[in-house]
Amino acid sequence: MFDQGPEARRRQDQPRLSVVAGAEPATAEALLHRTALGEDDAFAALYDLMSGRVYGLCLRIVRDPAQAEEVAQEVLVEVWRTATRFDEHRGSASAWITTIAHRRAVDRVRSAQAAGDRERRAAAESVEPEYDQVAEAAAGRLEHRQVRRCLKTLTELQRQAVTLAYYGGHTYRQVATLLDAAVPTVKSRIRDGLVKLRDCLEVAR
Amino acid sequence: MSTDEHTMIGAWALDAVDADERARVERHLAACASCAQEAAELRETVARLADVTITEPPPRLRDSVLAEVRRTRQEAPVAHEPEPRRRGRAHRSRARHQSRLRLALGAAALAVVAAFAGIFGTWAVMQQPGGESRGDQIAAVLEAADAEVSYQEPDGGGRVTVIASEALDQAVVVVSDLAAPGDDRSYQVWKVNEAGQVSAGVMDAGDASATMLVEGLGDTRVVGVTNEPAGGSDEPTLPMVADVALDA
Repeated sequence: MFDQGPEARRRQDQPRLSVVAGAEPATAEALLHRTALGEDDAFAALYDLMSGRVYGLCLRIVRDPAQAEEVAQEVLVEVWRTATRFDEHRGSASAWITTIAHRRAVDRVRSAQAAGDRERRAAAESVEPEYDQVAEAAAGRLEHRQVRRCLKTLTELQRQAVTLAYYGGHTYRQVATLLDAAVPTVKSRIRDGLVKLRDCLEVAR
Repeated sequence: MSTDEHTMIGAWALDAVDADERARVERHLAACASCAQEAAELRETVARLADVTITEPPPRLRDSVLAEVRRTRQEAPVAHEPEPRRRGRAHRSRARHQSRLRLALGAAALAVVAAFAGIFGTWAVMQQPGGESRGDQIAAVLEAADAEVSYQEPDGGGRVTVIASEALDQAVVVVSDLAAPGDDRSYQVWKVNEAGQVSAGVMDAGDASATMLVEGLGDTRVVGVTNEPAGGSDEPTLPMVADVALDA
């Protein structure tokens, strides 16, 4: 027999919501699904929710505001174009969009590198990540404090490797060069650092 | 699997790999479910690093993006087939029926339900006493004014979502991505009340996802899911995989 005690009736920790047409919470996932159905207004709402994230990340990586704006536009149009392919079983809408933004920004930076016009800057770039400075603009955000706190739990090498790769747009081989460390060491420090960050941020799927 | 590629998952999550390495890691992930799980978690983690870079774009970007979007065609969706399926035409024709249902339900209410239930994932319809899937009735429950959504995420993974309407005395049960039961086992859904339980339907053997309409809800308190021998059982095998409590 199933347990039919009073506790079995309803779990306190179980989220519930009523479905009320027109009053749905505008989660990024819900907006992305509606965007996939071709709803312009859902995409506009998604833009309002995510554009600061997309533009800010592009700006951090590309550095040049005009180019960052271009890349952010490419990213946001790609979100519209490929919303039909978003699969929430594979991750959150925010991570999906952020991944597209990071990939595009890094592609921009690397093709510029390949053309040779960014090499000197890359080599001369300070090893100390500059997220603090960018973070000033976003001071007070809870999630932002949490990320900073969690970054501080990493070892120095883990933190530098992760932030140079992510905010600097460098490959792990370039990071190894910048940090004057062995390539396999950097590769494993990056993974260890991300695992530690995941646990600290309590990322769950 | 190679340790090298596994270690590289971190660098991959950061886009800190070249194109060849990326392709190698992604081939590795396609072949290793636990690695794919770790990769997905690291991707979520990495996305959080963008929390500290949030910066309002210039207002002109909005107009410019929305204008480009108005003249940009969206890509065709790709069918997600996470589980290999070994079934014939009967299954495919039912799947088509469900995708029509999905298109018909563009309503805002459905977006919420879909986000929770994974309705936009692969559909499979349960064997029910009546045999047929009942698209219109499912739609009616999803859109009912008094519809209440409850769900549970079992330890073994996946989610069981119940959208219940007291007024219609019906519920839609969406089982998504439970642990694969194996070809000789079926998940079975039960209506449970004070007096005991009644089977509400049996999923096809081996299936981990399905959607069904449950009628005659009555004083059902809990919608339970159990793992049974293929074809289902008369009595549930405990412990339950999921027990989703409904409003009393």
